Amino acid sequence: MALKIIESCVNCFACEPLCPSKAIYEAKPHFLIDPKKCTECEGDFSVPQCASICPIEGAILDMFGEALNPPGSLTGIPPEKMAEAMAELQAH
Amino acid sequence: MELPVLNETPASKGGCSAGSCGSTDDQMNHLSEEIRAKVQNHPCYSEDAHHYFARMHVAVAPACNIQCHYCNRKYDCANESRPGVVSELLTPDQAVKKTMAVAANIPQMTVLGIAGPGDPLANPERTFDTFRRLSEDAPDIKLCVSTNGLALPDSVEELSKHNIDHVTITINCVDPEIGAKIYPWIFWENRRIKGKKGAKILIEQQQKGLEMLVAKGILVKVNSVMIPGVNDKHLAEVSKIVKAKGAFLHNVMPLIAEAEHGTFYGVMGQRGPNAAELQDLQDECSGDMNMMRHCRQCRADAVGLLGEDRGDEFTLDKIETMEIDYQAAMEKRKVIHQAIEAEMNSKREVKAEKAEQFAQEDKMTTRPVLMAVATSGQGVINVHFGHAKEFLIYEASPDGVRFISHRKADQYCGGDTTCGDGETVLQRTIHSLEGCEAVLCSKVGYEPWEMLEQAGIMPNGEHAMEPIEDAVMAVYKEMAQSGKLDEAEQAERAVA
Repeated sequence: MALKIIESCVNCFACEPLCPSKAIYEAKPHFLIDPKKCTECEGDFSVPQCASICPIEGAILDMFGEALNPPGSLTGIPPEKMAEAMAELQAH
Repeated sequence: MELPVLNETPASKGGCSAGSCGSTDDQMNHLSEEIRAKVQNHPCYSEDAHHYFARMHVAVAPACNIQCHYCNRKYDCANESRPGVVSELLTPDQAVKKTMAVAANIPQMTVLGIAGPGDPLANPERTFDTFRRLSEDAPDIKLCVSTNGLALPDSVEELSKHNIDHVTITINCVDPEIGAKIYPWIFWENRRIKGKKGAKILIEQQQKGLEMLVAKGILVKVNSVMIPGVNDKHLAEVSKIVKAKGAFLHNVMPLIAEAEHGTFYGVMGQRGPNAAELQDLQDECSGDMNMMRHCRQCRADAVGLLGEDRGDEFTLDKIETMEIDYQAAMEKRKVIHQAIEAEMNSKREVKAEKAEQFAQEDKMTTRPVLMAVATSGQGVINVHFGHAKEFLIYEASPDGVRFISHRKADQYCGGDTTCGDGETVLQRTIHSLEGCEAVLCSKVGYEPWEMLEQAGIMPNGEHAMEPIEDAVMAVYKEMAQSGKLDEAEQAERAVA
């Protein structure tokens, strides 16, 4: 049972000091979670701390590879609206 | 020649009814001696000082504890200039070294701020480590910090230990209903809290932090982002409240929102205010509060005078090779600062004398006029039209001359001469001067001269190296004498 940080991490440091298991460490090109140490905060907090402060949708996954913060959940931007805006920008 | 920079008298329109509008030197005359002494060499707090003194930000604070709809934590673009954007994150070690390198090479740099790219107080160790070491090693640099306010009440004690006498809090609302439209979530007591509930906690923390800072005698400036249709009608109330609690300056800034920034407001098509809307709101708030109008909404790693960014000269690889003798630099800085302050004081005296003369002249009855000025500092007109990266906007009226705002000359990405809409850089620059009737610069070329005239903006290169306010008033009087400001013509303009 462990969470995972993936490449969309922007290295903002917010999660690192919150981890009760000291499982999160600075690495290149982005922060990582030591799966041997990660407890998903069970026993310490009711919700995983890293995923509760992370500002980037999709950057933290659970053991099934599911994003704890799926697209649209943090910014409030509907995913289809984001896709539309990005497509329009690329067309220019 | 005359010239009061008026900020005592009511604005010609809008609600500037009581006392000072505009953070100009005259406004500073209304502040207590103590506050004036604290801000007179701070470019972000004094409109007068920003012509002479420089600031820098060190980007040591990447983490944030809230999300704002005008911010995107993913972005880092060298060509973008807006808060929250940086190119290199620094450790406190690197930040101290960079600050001392800049102080030695740009002696007019008086202020070091930590402004992000996240929230400085959400990174207390990195932020306070930097402050602690700078207050010991570089005691001649003023330290300041800006924050969203969520962690502020817990940080006031620590802030007061480090010689930090200026704090900026961004307060966009005092109503959680409105807050929920600006802040989608906050991180609070080990949880992400969304919507109105999160906004309510943030607002309470901001107000409490403001009160605690004021009680400690720390100067507080309040920044607000003006978001049309969201908080524009609400900010006058915010202004009243923060003033009543002891904030000494309010800075209402326009929302920056472009789809390519990937922010909620950018992608959802929320527009920012235009220049006239921003000015109207600033004038409305100014009845209650000292307003700041010279903010450039700079990056969290900006270096130099406001409106310029010399960050490229002080990248990590460059400062690694610099050997700094800070003691020697401090001596040199002291001499230069004294010379600048003497120059500012003598100019202030001259202005006061001119204001008195002007008050005794027959009062004109002409309408107010906006003029654009090209300057690179020192309070004089000293930039060629084609070289201006920005213009300062002044209003001349029978009451005198007052500073209104700045406008960027080239508002889009650099490089290409044309943008998507087919406007050239020159056309865009002229477009950005909308509402102005004259532009004063050290020189103007043939091509822009004709285009400016066609756009109804009178180019003027006759006042090179003259003090801005004198030149603006001289041009205003010429316009009055030639009949350009008669009421009849105004009526004609309105019809046309």
